[in-house]
Amino acid sequence: MMPARNAYRAGPVVWAAIIAGTCLILFIFQKILWLVLPFVLALIIYYVLLPVKLRLVLGGMSHDSAAGWVSSGAFALIVLIGVLGFPKLLTETVTWQDSAGRYLNGGLQFLTASVVQMETRFEMLAQAKASAEMARQIADFSGHFAEKYVPTIAMTIAAWSPSLILAPFLAFFMLRDGWRFRKFLTRAVPNAYFERSLFLMDQVDRTARLYFIGLIELTLLDTFCLAGGLWLIGVSGPLQLGLLTAVLAWVPYIGSILGCLLVVLVAATDFPGDPNVAYAAIALFVFVRLLDDFVFMPMTIGKSLNMHPLLTVLMIFVGGAVAGVPGLMMVLPVLGVVMVLGETIGMLVNDPRLRARHAHERALRQQLVTRDLTLP
Amino acid sequence: MQWFSRASQIQKVSHRLAGAGLFCNLTERELKIVDGFVHDRQYLAGEVIFDAGEEGQALYVIVSGKVAVCLPGKHETPVAELTTGDFFGELGLLDSWPRSAQVRALETSEIAVLFRGDFERLMESHAQIASKIAMQLARHLGQRLRLMLAQTAEGNAQA
Repeated sequence: MMPARNAYRAGPVVWAAIIAGTCLILFIFQKILWLVLPFVLALIIYYVLLPVKLRLVLGGMSHDSAAGWVSSGAFALIVLIGVLGFPKLLTETVTWQDSAGRYLNGGLQFLTASVVQMETRFEMLAQAKASAEMARQIADFSGHFAEKYVPTIAMTIAAWSPSLILAPFLAFFMLRDGWRFRKFLTRAVPNAYFERSLFLMDQVDRTARLYFIGLIELTLLDTFCLAGGLWLIGVSGPLQLGLLTAVLAWVPYIGSILGCLLVVLVAATDFPGDPNVAYAAIALFVFVRLLDDFVFMPMTIGKSLNMHPLLTVLMIFVGGAVAGVPGLMMVLPVLGVVMVLGETIGMLVNDPRLRARHAHERALRQQLVTRDLTLP
Repeated sequence: MQWFSRASQIQKVSHRLAGAGLFCNLTERELKIVDGFVHDRQYLAGEVIFDAGEEGQALYVIVSGKVAVCLPGKHETPVAELTTGDFFGELGLLDSWPRSAQVRALETSEIAVLFRGDFERLMESHAQIASKIAMQLARHLGQRLRLMLAQTAEGNAQA
Protein backbone atom coordinates (compact mmCIF):
# COMPACT_ATOMS: atom_id res chain seq x y z
CA MET A 1 0.00 0.00 0.00
CA MET A 2 1.27 3.44 -0.86
CA PRO A 3 2.01 5.76 2.06
CA ALA A 4 -0.54 8.49 2.76
CA ARG A 5 0.59 11.72 1.18
CA ASN A 6 1.40 14.63 3.45
CA ALA A 7 -1.14 17.46 3.48
CA TYR A 8 0.07 20.09 1.02
CA ARG A 9 0.84 23.57 2.37
CA ALA A 10 1.37 26.44 -0.04
CA GLY A 11 4.88 27.92 0.10
CA PRO A 12 6.06 31.52 -0.38
CA VAL A 13 6.19 31.22 -4.19
CA VAL A 14 2.57 30.07 -4.36
CA TRP A 15 1.51 32.83 -1.94
CA ALA A 16 3.35 35.47 -3.98
CA ALA A 17 1.53 34.15 -7.07
CA ILE A 18 -1.81 34.29 -5.19
CA ILE A 19 -1.30 37.95 -4.19
CA ALA A 20 -0.01 38.92 -7.64
CA GLY A 21 -2.93 37.08 -9.26
CA THR A 22 -5.43 38.88 -7.00
CA CYS A 23 -3.92 42.29 -7.90
CA LEU A 24 -3.97 41.43 -11.62
CA ILE A 25 -7.61 40.32 -11.49
CA LEU A 26 -8.60 43.49 -9.60
CA PHE A 27 -6.77 45.59 -12.19
CA ILE A 28 -8.61 43.82 -15.02
CA PHE A 29 -11.92 44.07 -13.11
CA GLN A 30 -11.47 47.83 -12.84
CA LYS A 31 -11.21 48.00 -16.64
CA ILE A 32 -14.37 45.89 -17.19
CA LEU A 33 -16.32 47.08 -14.17
CA TRP A 34 -19.44 47.49 -16.36
CA LEU A 35 -19.46 43.68 -16.68
CA VAL A 36 -18.17 42.76 -13.20
CA LEU A 37 -20.88 44.62 -11.27
CA PRO A 38 -23.85 42.98 -13.06
CA PHE A 39 -22.05 39.64 -12.73
CA VAL A 40 -21.74 40.05 -8.95
CA LEU A 41 -25.41 41.10 -8.73
CA ALA A 42 -26.34 38.09 -10.88
CA LEU A 43 -24.40 35.79 -8.52
CA ILE A 44 -26.36 37.14 -5.53
CA ILE A 45 -29.69 36.66 -7.39
CA TYR A 46 -28.55 33.14 -8.43
CA TYR A 47 -27.75 32.04 -4.88
CA VAL A 48 -31.09 33.43 -3.63
CA LEU A 49 -33.17 31.71 -6.35
CA LEU A 50 -31.26 28.40 -6.60
CA PRO A 51 -33.09 26.63 -3.70
CA VAL A 52 -36.47 27.47 -5.29
CA LYS A 53 -35.30 26.08 -8.64
CA LEU A 54 -34.07 22.85 -7.03
CA ARG A 55 -37.40 22.50 -5.24
CA LEU A 56 -39.21 22.66 -8.60
CA VAL A 57 -36.82 20.09 -10.10
CA LEU A 58 -37.70 17.76 -7.24
CA GLY A 59 -41.35 18.40 -8.06
CA GLY A 60 -40.78 16.81 -11.47
CA MET A 61 -39.76 19.75 -13.67
CA SER A 62 -36.75 19.70 -15.96
CA HIS A 63 -33.81 21.96 -15.07
CA ASP A 64 -34.64 24.27 -18.01
CA SER A 65 -38.33 24.65 -17.15
CA ALA A 66 -37.57 25.17 -13.45
CA ALA A 67 -35.05 27.90 -14.26
CA GLY A 68 -37.56 29.52 -16.61
CA TRP A 69 -40.39 29.45 -14.08
CA VAL A 70 -38.25 30.74 -11.20
CA SER A 71 -36.78 33.56 -13.31
CA SER A 72 -40.21 34.51 -14.66
CA GLY A 73 -41.64 34.50 -11.13
CA ALA A 74 -38.85 36.72 -9.80
CA PHE A 75 -39.20 39.05 -12.79
CA ALA A 76 -42.99 39.24 -12.35
CA LEU A 77 -42.52 40.05 -8.66
CA ILE A 78 -40.12 42.90 -9.47
CA VAL A 79 -42.49 44.25 -12.15
CA LEU A 80 -45.41 44.03 -9.70
CA ILE A 81 -43.46 45.91 -7.03
CA GLY A 82 -42.46 48.47 -9.66
CA VAL A 83 -46.02 48.94 -10.95
CA LEU A 84 -47.47 49.23 -7.45
CA GLY A 85 -44.61 51.30 -6.06
CA PHE A 86 -43.91 53.63 -8.99
CA PRO A 87 -46.84 56.07 -8.46
CA LYS A 88 -45.97 56.31 -4.76
CA LEU A 89 -42.29 56.75 -5.63
CA LEU A 90 -43.16 59.53 -8.05
CA THR A 91 -45.22 61.45 -5.50
CA GLU A 92 -42.56 61.01 -2.86
CA THR A 93 -39.65 62.16 -5.04
CA VAL A 94 -40.51 65.80 -4.38
CA THR A 95 -40.73 65.07 -0.65
CA TRP A 96 -37.36 63.29 -0.80
CA GLN A 97 -35.79 66.33 -2.46
CA ASP A 98 -37.15 68.55 0.31
CA SER A 99 -36.06 66.07 2.97
CA ALA A 100 -32.53 65.83 1.52
CA GLY A 101 -32.23 69.63 1.60
CA ARG A 102 -33.62 69.74 5.14
CA TYR A 103 -31.24 67.03 6.41
CA LEU A 104 -28.27 68.69 4.69
CA ASN A 105 -29.14 72.03 6.29
CA GLY A 106 -29.62 70.34 9.66
CA GLY A 107 -26.20 68.69 9.38
CA LEU A 108 -24.51 71.91 8.36
CA GLN A 109 -26.13 73.80 11.25
CA PHE A 110 -24.93 71.09 13.63
CA LEU A 111 -21.42 71.34 12.19
CA THR A 112 -21.40 75.15 12.41
CA ALA A 113 -22.78 75.08 15.97
CA SER A 114 -20.09 72.56 16.99
CA VAL A 115 -17.30 74.71 15.51
CA VAL A 116 -18.70 77.90 17.14
CA GLN A 117 -18.83 76.05 20.46
CA MET A 118 -15.20 74.96 20.00
CA GLU A 119 -14.23 78.55 19.14
CA THR A 120 -15.53 79.69 22.52
CA ARG A 121 -13.24 77.13 24.19
CA PHE A 122 -10.13 77.33 22.00
CA GLU A 123 -8.69 80.80 21.41
CA MET A 124 -6.65 79.59 18.44
CA LEU A 125 -9.78 78.56 16.48
CA ALA A 126 -11.50 81.87 17.31
CA GLN A 127 -8.53 83.83 16.02
CA ALA A 128 -8.46 81.80 12.81
CA LYS A 129 -12.20 82.55 12.37
CA ALA A 130 -12.78 78.85 11.71
CA SER A 131 -16.59 79.02 11.71
CA ALA A 132 -16.70 81.98 9.26
CA GLU A 133 -14.23 80.26 6.90
CA MET A 134 -16.19 77.01 7.08
CA ALA A 135 -19.48 78.80 6.37
CA ARG A 136 -17.89 80.50 3.34
CA GLN A 137 -16.58 77.19 1.95
CA ILE A 138 -19.90 75.45 2.51
CA ALA A 139 -21.76 78.29 0.75
CA ASP A 140 -19.31 78.08 -2.14
CA PHE A 141 -19.71 74.27 -2.39
CA SER A 142 -23.51 74.28 -2.20
CA GLY A 143 -23.75 77.23 -4.62
CA HIS A 144 -21.87 75.39 -7.36
CA PHE A 145 -22.92 71.82 -6.48
CA ALA A 146 -25.59 71.50 -9.18
CA GLU A 147 -23.48 72.78 -12.07
CA LYS A 148 -20.33 70.92 -10.96
CA TYR A 149 -21.57 67.48 -9.93
CA VAL A 150 -25.16 66.83 -11.06
CA PRO A 151 -24.31 66.33 -14.80
CA THR A 152 -21.52 63.88 -13.88
CA ILE A 153 -23.81 61.93 -11.54
CA ALA A 154 -26.59 61.86 -14.17
CA MET A 155 -24.15 60.66 -16.87
CA THR A 156 -22.79 57.94 -14.57
CA ILE A 157 -26.30 56.67 -13.82
CA ALA A 158 -27.18 56.74 -17.55
CA ALA A 159 -23.99 54.85 -18.44
CA TRP A 160 -24.47 52.18 -15.76
CA SER A 161 -28.18 51.47 -16.21
CA PRO A 162 -27.88 49.29 -19.38
CA SER A 163 -25.15 47.12 -17.86
CA LEU A 164 -27.18 46.59 -14.68
CA ILE A 165 -30.02 45.23 -16.82
CA LEU A 166 -27.59 42.40 -17.68
CA ALA A 167 -27.79 41.07 -14.10
CA PRO A 168 -31.19 39.29 -14.37
CA PHE A 169 -30.21 37.78 -17.76
CA LEU A 170 -26.93 36.48 -16.35
CA ALA A 171 -28.77 35.11 -13.29
CA PHE A 172 -31.26 33.28 -15.57
CA PHE A 173 -28.48 31.59 -17.56
CA MET A 174 -26.61 30.71 -14.36
CA LEU A 175 -29.80 29.04 -13.06
CA ARG A 176 -30.51 27.24 -16.36
CA ASP A 177 -27.03 26.22 -17.48
CA GLY A 178 -24.85 26.52 -14.35
CA TRP A 179 -24.82 22.75 -13.67
CA ARG A 180 -24.21 21.98 -17.36
CA PHE A 181 -21.31 24.46 -17.43
CA ARG A 182 -19.79 22.79 -14.37
CA LYS A 183 -20.02 19.37 -16.03
CA PHE A 184 -18.63 20.84 -19.26
CA LEU A 185 -15.63 22.21 -17.36
CA THR A 186 -14.96 18.93 -15.53
CA ARG A 187 -15.15 16.96 -18.82
CA ALA A 188 -12.10 18.91 -19.99
CA VAL A 189 -10.06 17.76 -16.97
CA PRO A 190 -7.84 14.67 -17.44
CA ASN A 191 -8.80 11.63 -15.34
CA ALA A 192 -5.68 11.85 -13.16
CA TYR A 193 -6.52 15.38 -11.98
CA PHE A 194 -10.27 14.91 -11.96
CA GLU A 195 -10.96 14.33 -8.25
CA ARG A 196 -8.65 17.15 -7.19
CA SER A 197 -10.18 19.52 -9.74
CA LEU A 198 -13.67 18.71 -8.49
CA PHE A 199 -12.47 19.54 -5.00
CA LEU A 200 -11.08 22.84 -6.30
CA MET A 201 -14.33 23.79 -8.05
CA ASP A 202 -16.31 22.85 -4.96
CA GLN A 203 -14.08 25.02 -2.78
CA VAL A 204 -14.36 28.01 -5.18
CA ASP A 205 -18.15 27.63 -5.30
CA ARG A 206 -18.35 27.19 -1.52
CA THR A 207 -16.14 30.26 -0.89
CA ALA A 208 -18.19 32.47 -3.22
CA ARG A 209 -21.52 31.17 -1.85
CA LEU A 210 -20.51 31.56 1.79
CA TYR A 211 -19.11 35.04 1.10
CA PHE A 212 -22.29 36.36 -0.50
CA ILE A 213 -24.61 34.65 2.00
CA GLY A 214 -22.36 35.96 4.81
CA LEU A 215 -22.56 39.46 3.35
CA ILE A 216 -26.37 39.34 3.34
CA GLU A 217 -26.41 38.01 6.95
CA LEU A 218 -23.96 40.70 8.03
CA THR A 219 -26.09 43.40 6.42
CA LEU A 220 -29.20 42.17 8.23
CA LEU A 221 -27.41 42.00 11.61
CA ASP A 222 -25.98 45.51 11.16
CA THR A 223 -29.37 46.84 10.06
CA PHE A 224 -31.25 45.48 13.07
CA CYS A 225 -28.60 46.56 15.61
CA LEU A 226 -28.35 50.10 14.27
CA ALA A 227 -32.11 50.41 13.74
CA GLY A 228 -32.75 49.27 17.34
CA GLY A 229 -30.26 51.78 18.73
CA LEU A 230 -31.57 54.66 16.59
CA TRP A 231 -35.15 53.81 17.60
CA LEU A 232 -34.13 53.96 21.28
CA ILE A 233 -32.47 57.36 20.76
CA GLY A 234 -35.58 58.58 18.95
CA VAL A 235 -34.17 59.25 15.47
CA SER A 236 -36.75 59.10 12.67
CA GLY A 237 -36.81 56.26 10.07
CA PRO A 238 -34.47 53.98 12.05
CA LEU A 239 -35.01 50.88 9.88
CA GLN A 240 -34.43 52.66 6.55
CA LEU A 241 -31.40 54.46 7.99
CA GLY A 242 -29.99 51.23 9.44
CA LEU A 243 -30.44 49.37 6.12
CA LEU A 244 -28.89 52.17 4.06
CA THR A 245 -25.90 52.41 6.42
CA ALA A 246 -25.42 48.63 6.42
CA VAL A 247 -25.44 48.54 2.61
CA LEU A 248 -22.97 51.43 2.49
CA ALA A 249 -20.67 49.40 4.77
CA TRP A 250 -20.16 46.94 1.86
CA VAL A 251 -17.45 49.41 0.77
CA PRO A 252 -14.74 49.11 3.47
CA TYR A 253 -13.76 52.34 5.27
CA ILE A 254 -15.35 54.83 2.82
CA GLY A 255 -18.78 53.25 3.23
CA SER A 256 -18.53 53.43 7.03
CA ILE A 257 -17.61 57.15 6.94
CA LEU A 258 -20.53 57.92 4.60
CA GLY A 259 -22.87 55.89 6.82
CA CYS A 260 -21.74 57.80 9.91
CA LEU A 261 -22.27 61.13 8.14
CA LEU A 262 -25.77 60.04 7.16
CA VAL A 263 -26.67 59.08 10.73
CA VAL A 264 -25.32 62.40 12.07
CA LEU A 265 -27.24 64.41 9.46
CA VAL A 266 -30.54 62.77 10.37
CA ALA A 267 -29.96 62.97 14.15
CA ALA A 268 -28.89 66.63 13.96
CA THR A 269 -31.95 67.54 11.86
CA ASP A 270 -34.42 65.65 14.04
CA PHE A 271 -33.08 67.34 17.21
CA PRO A 272 -31.67 70.73 16.09
CA GLY A 273 -31.43 72.13 19.62
CA ASP A 274 -29.90 69.05 21.21
CA PRO A 275 -26.43 68.13 19.89
CA ASN A 276 -26.21 65.31 22.46
CA VAL A 277 -28.55 63.19 20.32
CA ALA A 278 -26.13 63.51 17.37
CA TYR A 279 -23.22 62.59 19.65
CA ALA A 280 -25.21 59.59 20.93
CA ALA A 281 -25.88 58.55 17.31
CA ILE A 282 -22.14 58.76 16.56
CA ALA A 283 -21.35 56.66 19.66
CA LEU A 284 -23.99 54.11 18.62
CA PHE A 285 -22.60 53.97 15.09
CA VAL A 286 -19.04 53.38 16.36
CA PHE A 287 -20.34 50.68 18.75
CA VAL A 288 -22.16 48.86 15.92
CA ARG A 289 -19.07 49.09 13.67
CA LEU A 290 -16.96 47.53 16.46
CA LEU A 291 -19.57 44.80 16.92
CA ASP A 292 -19.50 44.29 13.17
CA ASP A 293 -15.69 44.03 12.99
CA PHE A 294 -15.13 41.82 16.04
CA VAL A 295 -18.32 39.74 16.42
CA PHE A 296 -20.53 39.71 13.32
CA MET A 297 -17.80 39.64 10.66
CA PRO A 298 -16.02 36.53 12.07
CA MET A 299 -19.46 34.87 12.48
CA THR A 300 -20.49 35.49 8.86
CA ILE A 301 -17.95 36.47 6.16
CA GLY A 302 -14.89 35.43 8.19
CA LYS A 303 -16.08 31.80 8.13
CA SER A 304 -15.94 31.74 4.35
CA LEU A 305 -12.49 33.28 3.92
CA ASN A 306 -10.47 31.61 6.69
CA MET A 307 -7.41 33.81 6.27
CA HIS A 308 -5.06 35.71 8.59
CA PRO A 309 -6.56 39.04 9.81
CA LEU A 310 -3.34 40.95 9.00
CA LEU A 311 -3.39 39.66 5.43
CA THR A 312 -7.08 40.63 5.17
CA VAL A 313 -6.41 44.23 6.25
CA LEU A 314 -3.30 44.58 4.06
CA MET A 315 -5.13 43.20 1.03
CA ILE A 316 -7.99 45.69 1.55
CA PHE A 317 -5.43 48.52 1.28
CA VAL A 318 -3.77 46.87 -1.72
CA GLY A 319 -7.20 46.42 -3.39
CA GLY A 320 -7.98 50.11 -2.83
CA ALA A 321 -4.61 51.14 -4.27
CA VAL A 322 -4.93 48.91 -7.35
CA ALA A 323 -8.59 49.41 -8.24
CA GLY A 324 -10.05 52.19 -6.07
CA VAL A 325 -13.49 51.76 -4.49
CA PRO A 326 -14.39 48.67 -6.61
CA GLY A 327 -11.07 47.18 -5.47
CA LEU A 328 -11.99 47.76 -1.82
CA MET A 329 -15.29 45.95 -2.36
CA MET A 330 -14.02 43.05 -4.46
CA VAL A 331 -10.62 42.31 -2.94
CA LEU A 332 -11.76 39.82 -0.28
CA PRO A 333 -13.96 37.54 -2.43
CA VAL A 334 -11.38 37.63 -5.23
CA LEU A 335 -8.57 36.80 -2.80
CA GLY A 336 -10.64 33.94 -1.34
CA VAL A 337 -11.19 32.39 -4.78
CA VAL A 338 -7.59 32.95 -6.00
CA MET A 339 -6.28 31.48 -2.73
CA VAL A 340 -8.19 28.22 -3.31
CA LEU A 341 -7.13 28.15 -6.98
CA GLY A 342 -3.47 28.85 -6.18
CA GLU A 343 -3.22 26.27 -3.40
CA THR A 344 -4.86 23.55 -5.50
CA ILE A 345 -2.84 24.26 -8.65
CA GLY A 346 0.32 24.34 -6.50
CA MET A 347 -0.61 20.94 -5.10
CA LEU A 348 -1.36 19.43 -8.54
CA VAL A 349 1.90 20.71 -10.02
CA ASN A 350 3.91 19.42 -7.06
CA ASP A 351 2.43 15.89 -7.12
CA PRO A 352 4.69 13.64 -9.28
CA ARG A 353 2.34 10.64 -8.97
CA LEU A 354 -0.59 12.54 -10.51
CA ARG A 355 1.66 13.78 -13.33
CA ALA A 356 2.87 10.20 -13.95
CA ARG A 357 -0.72 8.90 -14.01
CA HIS A 358 -1.68 11.57 -16.53
CA ALA A 359 1.29 10.59 -18.74
CA HIS A 360 0.22 6.93 -18.44
CA GLU A 361 -3.35 7.78 -19.48
CA ARG A 362 -2.06 9.67 -22.53
CA ALA A 363 0.19 6.75 -23.47
CA LEU A 364 -2.76 4.36 -23.21
CA ARG A 365 -4.90 6.59 -25.45
CA GLN A 366 -2.06 6.92 -27.94
CA GLN A 367 -1.65 3.13 -28.01
CA LEU A 368 -5.39 2.70 -28.56
CA VAL A 369 -5.63 5.08 -31.50
CA THR A 370 -2.43 3.89 -33.22
CA ARG A 371 -3.01 0.15 -32.80
CA ASP A 372 -3.87 -0.46 -36.48
CA LEU A 373 -1.61 2.23 -37.93
CA THR A 374 1.49 0.26 -38.86
CA LEU A 375 3.65 1.23 -41.82
CA PRO A 376 3.94 -1.37 -44.65
CA MET B 1 -38.42 17.46 -31.75
CA GLN B 2 -35.71 18.96 -29.57
CA TRP B 3 -37.93 18.46 -26.53
CA PHE B 4 -38.49 14.85 -27.53
CA SER B 5 -34.79 14.15 -27.98
CA ARG B 6 -33.98 15.79 -24.63
CA ALA B 7 -36.73 13.80 -22.91
CA SER B 8 -35.47 10.54 -24.39
CA GLN B 9 -31.95 11.47 -23.31
CA ILE B 10 -33.17 11.97 -19.71
CA GLN B 11 -34.98 8.65 -19.87
CA LYS B 12 -31.79 6.92 -21.03
CA VAL B 13 -29.73 8.63 -18.31
CA SER B 14 -32.23 7.60 -15.62
CA HIS B 15 -32.09 3.96 -16.70
CA ARG B 16 -28.33 4.13 -16.70
CA LEU B 17 -28.20 5.11 -13.01
CA ALA B 18 -31.11 2.88 -12.03
CA GLY B 19 -28.87 -0.15 -12.60
CA ALA B 20 -26.58 0.86 -9.75
CA GLY B 21 -27.10 -0.80 -6.37
CA LEU B 22 -26.57 2.50 -4.56
CA PHE B 23 -29.51 4.11 -6.35
CA CYS B 24 -31.86 1.13 -6.38
CA ASN B 25 -34.36 2.80 -4.00
CA LEU B 26 -34.67 6.00 -6.00
CA THR B 27 -37.64 6.87 -8.24
CA GLU B 28 -37.26 8.12 -11.82
CA ARG B 29 -37.66 11.74 -10.69
CA GLU B 30 -35.13 11.30 -7.93
CA LEU B 31 -32.67 9.68 -10.34
CA LYS B 32 -33.07 12.67 -12.64
CA ILE B 33 -32.05 14.96 -9.80
CA VAL B 34 -29.10 12.75 -8.82
CA ASP B 35 -28.03 12.74 -12.47
CA GLY B 36 -27.57 16.52 -12.21
CA PHE B 37 -25.06 15.93 -9.42
CA VAL B 38 -22.91 13.09 -10.87
CA HIS B 39 -20.02 13.38 -13.34
CA ASP B 40 -19.35 10.94 -16.18
CA ARG B 41 -15.84 9.64 -16.78
CA GLN B 42 -14.36 7.09 -19.15
CA TYR B 43 -11.32 5.02 -18.17
CA LEU B 44 -9.26 2.85 -20.51
CA ALA B 45 -8.16 -0.70 -19.70
CA GLY B 46 -5.16 -0.51 -17.36
CA GLU B 47 -5.78 3.07 -16.30
CA VAL B 48 -5.56 3.91 -12.59
CA ILE B 49 -8.83 5.37 -11.28
CA PHE B 50 -7.40 6.22 -7.89
CA ASP B 51 -4.38 5.24 -5.83
CA ALA B 52 -4.10 3.84 -2.34
CA GLY B 53 -3.11 6.60 0.05
CA GLU B 54 -4.83 9.28 -2.03
CA GLU B 55 -7.26 11.56 -0.20
CA GLY B 56 -10.78 10.33 -0.95
CA GLN B 57 -13.24 12.91 -2.24
CA ALA B 58 -15.79 10.92 -4.24
CA LEU B 59 -17.75 7.71 -4.73
CA TYR B 60 -17.57 5.84 -8.08
CA VAL B 61 -20.45 3.90 -9.66
CA ILE B 62 -19.69 1.55 -12.57
CA VAL B 63 -22.16 2.26 -15.37
CA SER B 64 -20.44 -0.20 -17.71
CA GLY B 65 -17.15 -2.10 -17.72
CA LYS B 66 -15.06 -3.81 -15.10
CA VAL B 67 -12.52 -2.63 -12.53
CA ALA B 68 -10.05 -4.32 -10.19
CA VAL B 69 -9.35 -3.45 -6.56
CA CYS B 70 -5.61 -3.91 -5.93
CA LEU B 71 -3.25 -3.69 -3.00
CA PRO B 72 0.11 -3.02 -4.69
CA GLY B 73 3.01 -4.37 -2.63
CA LYS B 74 0.74 -6.68 -0.59
CA HIS B 75 -1.10 -8.82 -3.15
CA GLU B 76 0.12 -9.55 -6.66
CA THR B 77 -3.40 -10.30 -7.90
CA PRO B 78 -6.47 -8.07 -7.51
CA VAL B 79 -8.34 -8.59 -4.22
CA ALA B 80 -11.70 -7.96 -5.91
CA GLU B 81 -13.25 -7.35 -9.29
CA LEU B 82 -16.25 -5.10 -9.64
CA THR B 83 -18.60 -4.86 -12.59
CA THR B 84 -21.61 -2.90 -13.93
CA GLY B 85 -23.88 -1.62 -11.14
CA ASP B 86 -21.24 -1.98 -8.41
CA PHE B 87 -19.77 1.01 -6.64
CA PHE B 88 -16.46 1.68 -4.87
CA GLY B 89 -14.60 4.43 -3.00
CA GLU B 90 -17.69 4.85 -0.80
CA LEU B 91 -15.68 5.99 2.23
CA GLY B 92 -14.58 9.02 0.18
CA LEU B 93 -18.18 10.20 0.43
CA LEU B 94 -17.92 10.27 4.22
CA ASP B 95 -14.51 11.78 5.01
CA SER B 96 -11.08 12.65 3.59
CA TRP B 97 -9.38 9.51 4.93
CA PRO B 98 -6.73 8.12 2.52
CA ARG B 99 -7.96 5.47 0.07
CA SER B 100 -7.21 1.96 1.36
CA ALA B 101 -6.65 0.38 -2.06
CA GLN B 102 -5.84 1.17 -5.65
CA VAL B 103 -8.55 0.77 -8.29
CA ARG B 104 -7.70 0.12 -11.96
CA ALA B 105 -9.95 -0.31 -14.98
CA LEU B 106 -9.74 -3.86 -16.37
CA GLU B 107 -11.56 -2.87 -19.54
CA THR B 108 -12.82 0.40 -20.98
CA SER B 109 -15.28 1.54 -18.32
CA GLU B 110 -17.94 4.22 -17.99
CA ILE B 111 -18.01 5.51 -14.42
CA ALA B 112 -20.44 7.94 -12.74
CA VAL B 113 -18.73 9.90 -9.98
CA LEU B 114 -20.59 11.38 -7.02
CA PHE B 115 -18.37 13.98 -5.38
CA ARG B 116 -18.61 14.55 -1.61
CA GLY B 117 -19.30 18.29 -2.00
CA ASP B 118 -22.16 17.48 -4.39
CA PHE B 119 -23.52 14.85 -1.99
CA GLU B 120 -23.50 17.48 0.80
CA ARG B 121 -25.39 19.86 -1.49
CA LEU B 122 -27.83 17.04 -2.24
CA MET B 123 -28.35 16.59 1.51
CA GLU B 124 -29.10 20.32 1.88
CA SER B 125 -31.47 20.59 -1.07
CA HIS B 126 -32.98 17.08 -1.29
CA ALA B 127 -32.69 15.48 2.12
CA GLN B 128 -35.02 12.61 1.22
CA ILE B 129 -32.95 11.48 -1.77
CA ALA B 130 -29.69 11.87 0.16
CA SER B 131 -31.09 9.84 3.07
CA LYS B 132 -32.10 7.01 0.67
CA ILE B 133 -28.56 6.96 -0.74
CA ALA B 134 -27.05 7.17 2.76
CA MET B 135 -29.24 4.29 3.94
CA GLN B 136 -28.18 2.11 1.01
CA LEU B 137 -24.55 3.06 1.70
CA ALA B 138 -24.95 2.14 5.38
CA ARG B 139 -26.43 -1.25 4.40
CA HIS B 140 -23.47 -1.88 2.10
CA LEU B 141 -20.95 -0.92 4.79
CA GLY B 142 -22.83 -3.12 7.29
CA GLN B 143 -22.57 -6.10 4.94
CA ARG B 144 -18.84 -5.51 4.53
CA LEU B 145 -18.38 -5.22 8.29
CA ARG B 146 -20.25 -8.48 8.88
CA LEU B 147 -18.14 -10.17 6.20
CA MET B 148 -14.92 -8.90 7.79
CA LEU B 149 -16.04 -10.03 11.24
CA ALA B 150 -16.89 -13.47 9.86
CA GLN B 151 -13.49 -13.73 8.14
CA THR B 152 -11.71 -12.66 11.34
CA ALA B 153 -13.66 -15.21 13.39
CA GLU B 154 -12.83 -17.90 10.80
CA GLY B 155 -9.14 -16.93 10.93
CA ASN B 156 -9.12 -17.09 14.74
CA ALA B 157 -10.82 -20.49 14.69
CA GLN B 158 -8.22 -21.87 12.26
CA ALA B 159 -5.37 -20.46 14.42
